[in-house]
Amino acid sequence: MNTNISEELIALATVPVAQLDSNLCFINYSPTWLIHFNISDTNIIGKYYFDVFSDTPIEINELLTLCLQGQENTNLKGKKFTLPSGRTQWLKWKMYPCKNDAGEVDSISVILEDFTKKKQRINLATRAEKVANIGGWHADLLDNTVYWTRRAKQIHEVPYEFVPTLNECIDFYKIGEHRSRINKAINTAINTGNPWDEEAILVTAEGKEIWVRVKGEAETHNGKTVKLYGTFQDIDDKKKIELKYRAVAKRLELSTKAAKIGTWEYNILDKTDTWDSNMYSIYEVNELEDQVLYDVWKEKIHPDDFKKVDDEMQLAIKNGKNVTSEFRIQTGHNTIKFLKSVATVVKNQEGVPSQVVGVNWDITEQRLAQQKLEKSRESFKYAFEHSAIGMALVGLDGKWLEINQSVCNSLGYSKAELLKLTFQDITHPNDLEKDIELLEEVIKGNRISYQIDKRYFHKRGGIVHALLTVTAVKNYDGTVSHFISQIVDLTSRVYQENKLRSLVDVTRKQNESLYNFAHIVSHNLRSHSSNLSMLKDFLDKEKDEKEKENLMNMLGSSVNSLSETVAHLNEVVQITTDVKVKMRRISLLEAINTVQKNINVNIAEQNANVILNIDGTHFVHVVPAYLDSILLNLFTNALKYSFPNRTPVLEISSKNVGGRIILAFKDNGLGIDLDTHGPKMFGMYKTFHAHKDAKGIGLFITKNQMMSMGGKIHVESEVNVGTTFTLSFNSN
Amino acid sequence: MTIENVKNCCIIDDDPIFIYGTKRLMKEIEFCENFLIFNNGKEAIEGLVNDNKNEGELPCLILLDLNMPVLNGWDFLEAISKIKDKNITKIPIFIITSSIDPRDLEKVKNYAFVHGYLTKPITSEALDGIKNTLDL
Repeated sequence: MNTNISEELIALATVPVAQLDSNLCFINYSPTWLIHFNISDTNIIGKYYFDVFSDTPIEINELLTLCLQGQENTNLKGKKFTLPSGRTQWLKWKMYPCKNDAGEVDSISVILEDFTKKKQRINLATRAEKVANIGGWHADLLDNTVYWTRRAKQIHEVPYEFVPTLNECIDFYKIGEHRSRINKAINTAINTGNPWDEEAILVTAEGKEIWVRVKGEAETHNGKTVKLYGTFQDIDDKKKIELKYRAVAKRLELSTKAAKIGTWEYNILDKTDTWDSNMYSIYEVNELEDQVLYDVWKEKIHPDDFKKVDDEMQLAIKNGKNVTSEFRIQTGHNTIKFLKSVATVVKNQEGVPSQVVGVNWDITEQRLAQQKLEKSRESFKYAFEHSAIGMALVGLDGKWLEINQSVCNSLGYSKAELLKLTFQDITHPNDLEKDIELLEEVIKGNRISYQIDKRYFHKRGGIVHALLTVTAVKNYDGTVSHFISQIVDLTSRVYQENKLRSLVDVTRKQNESLYNFAHIVSHNLRSHSSNLSMLKDFLDKEKDEKEKENLMNMLGSSVNSLSETVAHLNEVVQITTDVKVKMRRISLLEAINTVQKNINVNIAEQNANVILNIDGTHFVHVVPAYLDSILLNLFTNALKYSFPNRTPVLEISSKNVGGRIILAFKDNGLGIDLDTHGPKMFGMYKTFHAHKDAKGIGLFITKNQMMSMGGKIHVESEVNVGTTFTLSFNSN
Repeated sequence: MTIENVKNCCIIDDDPIFIYGTKRLMKEIEFCENFLIFNNGKEAIEGLVNDNKNEGELPCLILLDLNMPVLNGWDFLEAISKIKDKNITKIPIFIITSSIDPRDLEKVKNYAFVHGYLTKPITSEALDGIKNTLDL
């Protein structure tokens, strides 16, 4: 057999073929050789093999040498070499020694194929199959055989030697919806040639359920499907994550729906927007095709709010900032809804705002409640400010926190002044203790409120009577935060009450004195009348003329006494008539001088020494006739009850005390035992000395006259030393 | 039945006409022959205490007016209630006054040694009543 390969044959070869001489230099080669090995030289004839392949396995050298020695070598499966440069190279070859006519090997033929790239591609695919969990399969419908790749078998958890039938393939899918879906897809592919791509649960040979993605395509021949092929992909992890994500998304959707939170998106770049279903129900509009949602929103928003919110949104987009706003929308018939909106601007990878995502929710109820609260707060504030009752908020330490005008009016302080004080500062000390006691009970929670009558000090120092009601205001945790105090100013009422009480007192006293007077009158008249009737009885029976005369004298004296008594009573009765119109402002000194002149005779008779120490500027507001009577009475008493054998000394002086004129009338006479007589000193028909002229009427009248003029009379006395009467007059 | 005379009667009153009339009536109805007269409470206290000291005869009863100068009837009663001498304090006292003031009547009840309250003018019937009260 001629082993020489003709030059023509080599030139036509489609595989890389070359012929080398005994020095391993190229004699001949196919054009594909240069192309296959990417050799830049155009002609390599005569060139040494290892000069042409600078980076080639050393083993090839050995093989070529062996071949020159007549040893044929073939490797069609291919072998992996590591080149001197470190690269990996997969080579397939056939080497034949070519003998000359002498039967000596003079050249060798080499067919060499580098399939490194192809091998790498296969490796990549295998690795990809493994990494992506993708297994391949194909089914020959003509002979009904099925081929699975290793990975496909791993996915199904079957041994490598397992060879399924087409029906067995289908039976791996979970019975029910999953299996029937796959079955239907395969049948459709067989009948129509349509491809499929399904996700289904597969039950492995070990009984494990996993999610797989099954793709299939049909190969047809003459309109008939002859072959199916495709992939299995284990998508269990991904699918489970997806299902989980879907559940979360569903939950989110449900909760946003329940919370009536609408979400929307606006794509800034292509100016499109999207609403979720909640948005439509909040705005009460139907979802329609070709809706420009911005226009829908613009139509629904309250015209007064549109510009503000729209501007805010534009600014947010421009600056890439988030925005929170509140606005009203009009839905249905004059129905206003209050919405709250939060929008977030999303930027793309280049940092340019690309999208706005926002939520809207209905806060109408909240807003209405708030409005109601504000209204009630306002009306409280109004009531507080304008109440005629003093109202104040007071801190736990007693500091005024807030005060209305009424409190200021009652206490005389300005608001600013009061805010610097505590209620303790201006409370009457006698009322402070009970106030604080009650306040502490409220703080302790023993009572909610209390009410007391108490006194404050007015800024000018006067007493302010008030009815105080204190109510606690509590924190959320039930502790007392502050107090609301209501202060009803009772000062004018208390003043009126006191006035009324003193009026009642006067009336009571007057009644009493009237009662006394009636009895005094009765007593006096009875004593005279009983004497008269007795004397008359004796007279009737008396025979003796001398005794008769005696009785007649007594009768006369008794009648005189009676008329004198009547005169006294007259005098007393006159005092009770209204004196106001008769009141005059007169000089005290002049009045005294006049009276003194009238009784000059008596003074001279007793050789009395009158010392006057009266300020000429002292004027008194009196009924002049009463003052005359009073002064006369005091003068005559002093003379009448002078101490025997002692020169009567009468000191009369006056002074001004707090706008009242005090007149002192001091004598050095008998004096009166005040321990015994004090209480009846100014009583009617009370006499203290066994004096023939003592009638017990003078001081009684003096006292009554003083009282009717709004004056006072007071006595100090020591027996055998003297008596001082002190009289107090109004000066104007 | 013969009524025994009161041996000695004390009258404390500042009204001479009343004293005259009372003495005359008492003599006429033979109530009493001997009289001890004082014109006010002060005189009476002094007189009675002196009489007792001098072993003079103390009165069997006292007729006491209320309205008098210096010491009135009430002052006298107060003074008597402070005296410890039983001889004086045991003397029965009768108030004789022109006052019909119920407050006076009420006030008299505070003094146990006051045996009666009579209003002027004095009558023979009233004097008989005194006798009965004293069980003479």
